[in-house]
Amino acid sequence: MRTLVFIPAWNEEDSVASVIADVRECLPDADLLVIDDGSTDATVARSRDAGALVASLPFNQGLGAALQTGYLYALREGYEACAHLDADGQHPPREVARLLEEILGDRADLVIGSRYRDPDAVAASDDYRPTFSRRIGTGVFRFFLTLATRQRFTDTTSGMRAANRRVMSLFSENYSPDFAEIESLQLAVREGLRVEEVPVRMLERAGGSSFLTPLRSAFFIFKGVVVLLVGQFRPRQHAEAER
Amino acid sequence: MSWLPFAADATQVHLTSQTRIVAAVIAIFFMLMILELIRRDRLQERYSVIWFIAGLGMLAGAAFPGLLELVADVMGVRDTNVALFSIVLLLLLGLALNFSVIMSRQAAQITRLAQERALEKAREQAAEERGNGGAASAERERA
Repeated sequence: MRTLVFIPAWNEEDSVASVIADVRECLPDADLLVIDDGSTDATVARSRDAGALVASLPFNQGLGAALQTGYLYALREGYEACAHLDADGQHPPREVARLLEEILGDRADLVIGSRYRDPDAVAASDDYRPTFSRRIGTGVFRFFLTLATRQRFTDTTSGMRAANRRVMSLFSENYSPDFAEIESLQLAVREGLRVEEVPVRMLERAGGSSFLTPLRSAFFIFKGVVVLLVGQFRPRQHAEAER
Repeated sequence: MSWLPFAADATQVHLTSQTRIVAAVIAIFFMLMILELIRRDRLQERYSVIWFIAGLGMLAGAAFPGLLELVADVMGVRDTNVALFSIVLLLLLGLALNFSVIMSRQAAQITRLAQERALEKAREQAAEERGNGGAASAERERA
Protein backbone atom coordinates (compact mmCIF):
# COMPACT_ATOMS: atom_id res chain seq x y z
CA MET A 1 0.00 0.00 0.00
CA ARG A 2 1.28 3.46 -0.88
CA THR A 3 1.53 5.63 2.19
CA LEU A 4 2.18 9.35 2.54
CA VAL A 5 3.42 10.96 5.72
CA PHE A 6 3.08 14.74 5.71
CA ILE A 7 4.44 17.25 8.17
CA PRO A 8 2.92 20.73 8.46
CA ALA A 9 5.69 23.16 9.40
CA TRP A 10 5.63 26.84 10.18
CA ASN A 11 9.00 28.29 11.18
CA GLU A 12 10.35 25.00 12.55
CA GLU A 13 13.91 25.20 11.24
CA ASP A 14 15.35 23.84 14.50
CA SER A 15 13.44 20.59 14.53
CA VAL A 16 12.15 19.80 11.05
CA ALA A 17 15.28 18.05 9.77
CA SER A 18 15.49 15.64 12.71
CA VAL A 19 11.76 14.87 12.45
CA ILE A 20 12.25 14.04 8.76
CA ALA A 21 15.20 11.79 9.58
CA ASP A 22 13.18 10.01 12.29
CA VAL A 23 10.24 9.44 9.95
CA ARG A 24 12.61 8.05 7.30
CA GLU A 25 14.02 5.63 9.83
CA CYS A 26 10.72 4.42 11.34
CA LEU A 27 8.66 4.47 8.15
CA PRO A 28 11.13 3.65 5.37
CA ASP A 29 8.40 2.73 2.85
CA ALA A 30 6.34 5.89 3.23
CA ASP A 31 6.68 8.93 0.98
CA LEU A 32 7.33 12.16 2.82
CA LEU A 33 5.93 15.63 2.20
CA VAL A 34 6.66 18.74 4.26
CA ILE A 35 3.98 21.42 3.99
CA ASP A 36 5.60 24.74 4.62
CA ASP A 37 2.93 27.14 5.87
CA GLY A 38 4.63 30.33 4.69
CA SER A 39 7.69 30.01 6.90
CA THR A 40 10.02 33.00 7.02
CA ASP A 41 12.99 31.06 8.37
CA ALA A 42 15.06 28.25 6.85
CA THR A 43 12.37 25.56 7.22
CA VAL A 44 12.12 24.98 3.45
CA ALA A 45 15.87 24.76 2.91
CA ARG A 46 16.40 22.44 5.88
CA SER A 47 13.57 20.17 4.70
CA ARG A 48 14.96 19.98 1.15
CA ASP A 49 18.46 19.30 2.48
CA ALA A 50 17.01 16.49 4.58
CA GLY A 51 15.69 15.03 1.35
CA ALA A 52 11.99 15.76 1.77
CA LEU A 53 9.56 16.93 -0.87
CA VAL A 54 8.28 20.39 0.10
CA ALA A 55 4.90 21.94 -0.73
CA SER A 56 5.31 25.60 0.06
CA LEU A 57 2.27 27.79 0.71
CA PRO A 58 3.07 31.33 -0.48
CA PHE A 59 1.85 32.88 2.77
CA ASN A 60 0.84 31.68 6.23
CA GLN A 61 -2.65 30.19 6.01
CA GLY A 62 -3.04 28.44 9.34
CA LEU A 63 -2.63 24.82 10.38
CA GLY A 64 -5.98 23.74 8.89
CA ALA A 65 -5.10 24.94 5.41
CA ALA A 66 -1.66 23.32 5.66
CA LEU A 67 -3.13 19.97 6.70
CA GLN A 68 -5.74 20.20 3.96
CA THR A 69 -2.93 20.67 1.46
CA GLY A 70 -1.50 17.36 2.63
CA TYR A 71 -4.84 15.55 2.32
CA LEU A 72 -5.32 17.06 -1.13
CA TYR A 73 -1.88 15.85 -2.25
CA ALA A 74 -2.47 12.36 -0.85
CA LEU A 75 -5.86 12.15 -2.59
CA ARG A 76 -4.65 13.37 -5.96
CA GLU A 77 -1.47 11.30 -6.01
CA GLY A 78 -3.49 8.18 -5.27
CA TYR A 79 -2.11 7.22 -1.85
CA GLU A 80 -4.15 4.60 -0.01
CA ALA A 81 -3.20 5.84 3.44
CA CYS A 82 -1.75 9.01 4.87
CA ALA A 83 -0.61 10.26 8.25
CA HIS A 84 0.58 13.54 9.64
CA LEU A 85 2.60 14.63 12.65
CA ASP A 86 3.86 17.94 14.02
CA ALA A 87 7.22 19.32 12.96
CA ASP A 88 8.27 20.36 16.47
CA GLY A 89 9.43 16.90 17.53
CA GLN A 90 6.57 16.18 19.95
CA HIS A 91 5.37 13.21 17.96
CA PRO A 92 7.63 10.15 17.78
CA PRO A 93 7.31 8.62 14.26
CA ARG A 94 7.34 5.15 15.84
CA GLU A 95 3.88 5.97 17.22
CA VAL A 96 2.72 7.20 13.81
CA ALA A 97 3.56 3.77 12.42
CA ARG A 98 1.16 2.27 14.96
CA LEU A 99 -1.63 4.62 13.82
CA LEU A 100 -1.02 3.63 10.21
CA GLU A 101 -1.36 -0.06 11.10
CA GLU A 102 -4.98 0.61 12.12
CA ILE A 103 -5.66 2.20 8.72
CA LEU A 104 -3.87 -0.52 6.76
CA GLY A 105 -5.81 -3.17 8.69
CA ASP A 106 -9.03 -1.27 7.78
CA ARG A 107 -10.11 -1.09 11.42
CA ALA A 108 -10.82 2.65 11.18
CA ASP A 109 -11.13 5.48 8.65
CA LEU A 110 -9.43 8.06 10.85
CA VAL A 111 -7.07 7.33 13.73
CA ILE A 112 -6.06 9.89 16.35
CA GLY A 113 -2.96 9.56 18.47
CA SER A 114 -4.03 10.40 22.00
CA ARG A 115 -1.55 11.45 24.66
CA TYR A 116 -4.24 11.16 27.38
CA ARG A 117 -5.89 7.86 26.55
CA ASP A 118 -3.71 5.62 28.69
CA PRO A 119 -3.73 6.82 32.31
CA ASP A 120 -1.70 3.85 33.58
CA ALA A 121 1.30 4.58 31.40
CA VAL A 122 4.41 5.36 33.37
CA ALA A 123 5.64 8.82 32.45
CA ALA A 124 9.25 9.10 31.36
CA SER A 125 11.19 12.26 32.17
CA ASP A 126 10.94 13.65 28.64
CA ASP A 127 7.25 12.83 28.29
CA TYR A 128 4.65 15.43 27.46
CA ARG A 129 3.18 17.28 30.45
CA PRO A 130 0.27 19.64 29.82
CA THR A 131 0.27 23.17 31.27
CA PHE A 132 -2.60 24.42 33.40
CA SER A 133 -4.44 26.42 30.71
CA ARG A 134 -3.90 23.54 28.31
CA ARG A 135 -5.58 21.19 30.78
CA ILE A 136 -8.63 23.46 31.07
CA GLY A 137 -8.93 23.71 27.29
CA THR A 138 -8.53 19.97 26.89
CA GLY A 139 -11.31 19.36 29.43
CA VAL A 140 -13.72 21.79 27.79
CA PHE A 141 -13.13 20.48 24.27
CA ARG A 142 -13.32 16.89 25.44
CA PHE A 143 -16.68 17.55 27.08
CA PHE A 144 -18.26 19.37 24.16
CA LEU A 145 -16.89 17.07 21.48
CA THR A 146 -18.08 13.99 23.36
CA LEU A 147 -21.48 15.69 23.70
CA ALA A 148 -21.59 16.54 20.00
CA THR A 149 -20.40 13.19 18.66
CA ARG A 150 -21.62 10.81 21.40
CA GLN A 151 -18.20 9.20 21.13
CA ARG A 152 -15.48 9.39 23.76
CA PHE A 153 -12.50 11.50 22.77
CA THR A 154 -9.62 12.25 25.11
CA ASP A 155 -7.17 14.16 22.92
CA THR A 156 -9.22 16.47 20.74
CA THR A 157 -6.38 18.69 19.56
CA SER A 158 -3.87 15.99 18.72
CA GLY A 159 -1.94 16.72 15.54
CA MET A 160 -0.89 13.11 15.04
CA ARG A 161 -3.37 11.32 12.82
CA ALA A 162 -3.68 8.69 10.13
CA ALA A 163 -6.42 8.43 7.52
CA ASN A 164 -7.64 6.47 4.51
CA ARG A 165 -9.00 7.69 1.18
CA ARG A 166 -12.53 8.25 2.47
CA VAL A 167 -11.19 10.78 4.95
CA MET A 168 -8.85 12.32 2.36
CA SER A 169 -11.71 13.10 0.01
CA LEU A 170 -13.84 14.47 2.84
CA PHE A 171 -11.08 16.65 4.34
CA SER A 172 -9.73 17.92 1.04
CA GLU A 173 -13.07 19.64 0.44
CA ASN A 174 -14.36 20.35 3.95
CA TYR A 175 -11.75 21.45 6.40
CA SER A 176 -12.03 24.46 8.62
CA PRO A 177 -8.99 26.64 7.97
CA ASP A 178 -8.51 27.85 11.52
CA PHE A 179 -10.11 25.24 13.71
CA ALA A 180 -8.81 22.15 12.11
CA GLU A 181 -8.43 19.58 14.86
CA ILE A 182 -11.75 19.65 16.66
CA GLU A 183 -14.11 20.42 13.83
CA SER A 184 -12.57 17.71 11.67
CA LEU A 185 -13.34 15.07 14.32
CA GLN A 186 -16.91 16.27 14.59
CA LEU A 187 -17.21 16.27 10.80
CA ALA A 188 -15.83 12.75 10.40
CA VAL A 189 -18.16 11.31 13.06
CA ARG A 190 -21.15 13.16 11.60
CA GLU A 191 -20.36 11.69 8.20
CA GLY A 192 -20.52 8.23 9.68
CA LEU A 193 -16.82 7.47 9.39
CA ARG A 194 -15.04 5.23 11.88
CA VAL A 195 -12.88 7.42 14.11
CA GLU A 196 -10.63 5.74 16.63
CA GLU A 197 -8.19 6.91 19.27
CA VAL A 198 -4.95 5.09 19.91
CA PRO A 199 -2.87 5.86 23.01
CA VAL A 200 0.53 7.24 22.08
CA ARG A 201 3.52 8.72 23.84
CA MET A 202 4.28 12.34 23.12
CA LEU A 203 7.41 14.25 24.03
CA GLU A 204 8.05 17.78 25.15
CA ARG A 205 8.65 19.96 22.12
CA ALA A 206 12.22 20.03 20.82
CA GLY A 207 12.22 23.63 19.59
CA GLY A 208 9.95 26.68 19.43
CA SER A 209 7.22 27.49 21.92
CA SER A 210 3.45 27.06 22.10
CA PHE A 211 1.48 29.95 20.67
CA LEU A 212 -0.91 29.93 23.62
CA THR A 213 -0.95 32.73 26.21
CA PRO A 214 -3.75 32.69 28.86
CA LEU A 215 -5.87 35.29 27.04
CA ARG A 216 -5.37 33.55 23.72
CA SER A 217 -6.26 30.23 25.35
CA ALA A 218 -9.54 31.68 26.59
CA PHE A 219 -10.35 33.03 23.13
CA PHE A 220 -9.27 29.73 21.57
CA ILE A 221 -11.61 27.79 23.87
CA PHE A 222 -14.52 30.15 23.24
CA LYS A 223 -14.01 29.95 19.49
CA GLY A 224 -13.83 26.18 19.67
CA VAL A 225 -17.15 25.91 21.46
CA VAL A 226 -18.82 28.21 18.91
CA VAL A 227 -17.34 26.22 16.04
CA LEU A 228 -18.62 22.95 17.53
CA LEU A 229 -22.08 24.41 18.04
CA VAL A 230 -22.30 25.68 14.48
CA GLY A 231 -20.90 22.39 13.19
CA GLN A 232 -23.89 20.54 14.64
CA PHE A 233 -26.15 22.39 12.21
CA ARG A 234 -24.09 21.92 9.07
CA PRO A 235 -25.63 19.87 6.26
CA ARG A 236 -24.20 16.35 5.93
CA GLN A 237 -22.07 15.45 2.89
CA HIS A 238 -22.86 11.71 3.10
CA ALA A 239 -19.30 10.47 2.87
CA GLU A 240 -20.35 7.20 4.51
CA ALA A 241 -22.45 6.35 1.44
CA GLU A 242 -19.23 5.75 -0.49
CA ARG A 243 -18.19 3.02 1.89
CA MET B 1 -52.21 57.02 8.99
CA SER B 2 -55.10 56.95 11.42
CA TRP B 3 -56.37 53.75 9.84
CA LEU B 4 -53.52 51.87 11.52
CA PRO B 5 -54.67 50.63 14.93
CA PHE B 6 -51.29 51.34 16.50
CA ALA B 7 -50.73 54.66 14.76
CA ALA B 8 -49.07 57.40 16.74
CA ASP B 9 -51.24 60.40 17.52
CA ALA B 10 -51.32 63.72 15.72
CA THR B 11 -48.11 64.91 17.38
CA GLN B 12 -46.02 62.92 14.89
CA VAL B 13 -42.85 64.79 13.87
CA HIS B 14 -42.57 65.10 10.10
CA LEU B 15 -39.52 65.63 7.93
CA THR B 16 -39.05 69.27 7.00
CA SER B 17 -38.79 70.28 3.34
CA GLN B 18 -35.22 71.30 3.97
CA THR B 19 -34.31 67.82 5.24
CA ARG B 20 -35.90 66.30 2.17
CA ILE B 21 -34.00 68.53 -0.24
CA VAL B 22 -30.68 67.87 1.51
CA ALA B 23 -31.34 64.10 1.49
CA ALA B 24 -32.24 64.11 -2.21
CA VAL B 25 -29.11 66.07 -3.13
CA ILE B 26 -26.88 63.73 -1.08
CA ALA B 27 -28.53 60.67 -2.65
CA ILE B 28 -27.95 61.98 -6.16
CA PHE B 29 -24.33 62.87 -5.44
CA PHE B 30 -23.83 59.47 -3.85
CA MET B 31 -25.05 57.63 -6.92
CA LEU B 32 -22.96 59.84 -9.21
CA MET B 33 -19.93 58.98 -7.10
CA ILE B 34 -20.62 55.26 -7.53
CA LEU B 35 -20.99 55.70 -11.29
CA GLU B 36 -17.66 57.50 -11.34
CA LEU B 37 -15.98 54.71 -9.33
CA ILE B 38 -17.25 52.11 -11.79
CA ARG B 39 -16.15 54.26 -14.73
CA ARG B 40 -12.60 54.40 -13.33
CA ASP B 41 -12.52 50.65 -12.59
CA ARG B 42 -12.21 51.27 -8.88
CA LEU B 43 -15.46 49.41 -8.17
CA GLN B 44 -16.80 46.29 -9.88
CA GLU B 45 -20.37 46.40 -11.16
CA ARG B 46 -21.44 43.36 -9.16
CA TYR B 47 -20.49 45.03 -5.90
CA SER B 48 -22.17 48.32 -6.88
CA VAL B 49 -25.73 46.99 -7.12
CA ILE B 50 -26.26 47.07 -3.38
CA TRP B 51 -25.02 50.67 -3.19
CA PHE B 52 -27.39 51.79 -5.96
CA ILE B 53 -30.25 50.21 -4.07
CA ALA B 54 -29.18 52.16 -0.99
CA GLY B 55 -28.99 55.40 -3.01
CA LEU B 56 -32.39 54.86 -4.64
CA GLY B 57 -33.90 54.09 -1.25
CA MET B 58 -32.54 57.36 0.09
CA LEU B 59 -33.96 59.23 -2.89
CA ALA B 60 -37.35 57.53 -2.49
CA GLY B 61 -37.41 58.52 1.17
CA ALA B 62 -36.77 62.14 0.25
CA ALA B 63 -39.29 62.24 -2.61
CA PHE B 64 -42.15 60.45 -0.85
CA PRO B 65 -42.09 61.32 2.86
CA GLY B 66 -45.28 59.30 3.25
CA LEU B 67 -43.20 56.14 2.91
CA LEU B 68 -40.98 57.02 5.85
CA GLU B 69 -43.93 58.11 7.96
CA LEU B 70 -45.62 54.79 7.28
CA VAL B 71 -42.48 52.97 8.43
CA ALA B 72 -42.27 55.18 11.51
CA ASP B 73 -45.87 54.34 12.32
CA VAL B 74 -45.30 50.62 11.95
CA MET B 75 -42.23 50.86 14.17
CA GLY B 76 -44.24 52.80 16.72
CA VAL B 77 -41.88 55.77 16.49
CA ARG B 78 -43.35 59.23 16.74
CA ASP B 79 -40.40 61.06 15.23
CA THR B 80 -39.88 60.24 11.53
CA ASN B 81 -36.20 61.22 11.85
CA VAL B 82 -35.63 58.43 14.36
CA ALA B 83 -37.20 55.98 11.94
CA LEU B 84 -34.86 57.25 9.23
CA PHE B 85 -31.81 56.69 11.46
CA SER B 86 -32.95 53.19 12.37
CA ILE B 87 -33.40 52.24 8.74
CA VAL B 88 -29.97 53.55 7.81
CA LEU B 89 -28.43 51.65 10.73
CA LEU B 90 -30.08 48.40 9.65
CA LEU B 91 -28.97 48.98 6.08
CA LEU B 92 -25.35 49.44 7.21
CA LEU B 93 -25.53 46.26 9.29
CA GLY B 94 -26.80 44.39 6.25
CA LEU B 95 -24.02 45.80 4.10
CA ALA B 96 -21.34 44.84 6.66
CA LEU B 97 -22.71 41.30 6.82
CA ASN B 98 -22.78 41.15 3.03
CA PHE B 99 -19.10 42.08 2.96
CA SER B 100 -18.24 39.42 5.55
CA VAL B 101 -19.91 36.83 3.33
CA ILE B 102 -17.97 38.02 0.28
CA MET B 103 -14.77 38.09 2.34
CA SER B 104 -15.28 34.52 3.54
CA ARG B 105 -15.77 33.31 0.00
CA GLN B 106 -12.66 35.10 -1.19
CA ALA B 107 -10.62 33.82 1.78
CA ALA B 108 -11.59 30.25 0.81
CA GLN B 109 -10.64 30.95 -2.80
CA ILE B 110 -7.27 32.43 -1.80
CA THR B 111 -6.53 29.42 0.42
CA ARG B 112 -7.33 26.98 -2.38
CA LEU B 113 -5.20 29.00 -4.79
CA ALA B 114 -2.26 28.92 -2.35
CA GLN B 115 -2.70 25.16 -1.88
CA GLU B 116 -2.78 24.52 -5.62
CA ARG B 117 0.42 26.51 -6.07
CA ALA B 118 2.11 24.65 -3.20
CA LEU B 119 1.18 21.28 -4.71
CA GLU B 120 2.38 22.42 -8.11
CA LYS B 121 5.75 23.35 -6.58
CA ALA B 122 6.02 19.98 -4.85
CA ARG B 123 5.27 18.16 -8.11
CA GLU B 124 7.90 20.26 -9.88
CA GLN B 125 10.45 19.33 -7.24
CA ALA B 126 9.53 15.66 -7.55
CA ALA B 127 9.87 15.75 -11.33
CA GLU B 128 13.21 17.56 -11.03
CA GLU B 129 14.56 14.96 -8.62
CA ARG B 130 13.41 12.17 -10.91
CA GLY B 131 15.00 14.06 -13.82
CA ASN B 132 18.55 14.15 -12.50
CA GLY B 133 17.52 10.99 -10.65
CA GLY B 134 20.59 8.99 -9.73
CA ALA B 135 22.85 12.04 -9.66
CA ALA B 136 21.03 13.85 -6.84
CA SER B 137 20.63 10.82 -4.62
CA ALA B 138 24.23 9.76 -5.22
CA GLU B 139 25.32 13.23 -4.20
CA ARG B 140 23.29 12.94 -1.03
CA GLU B 141 24.88 9.56 -0.31
CA ARG B 142 28.33 11.14 -0.56
CA ALA B 143 27.40 14.06 1.69
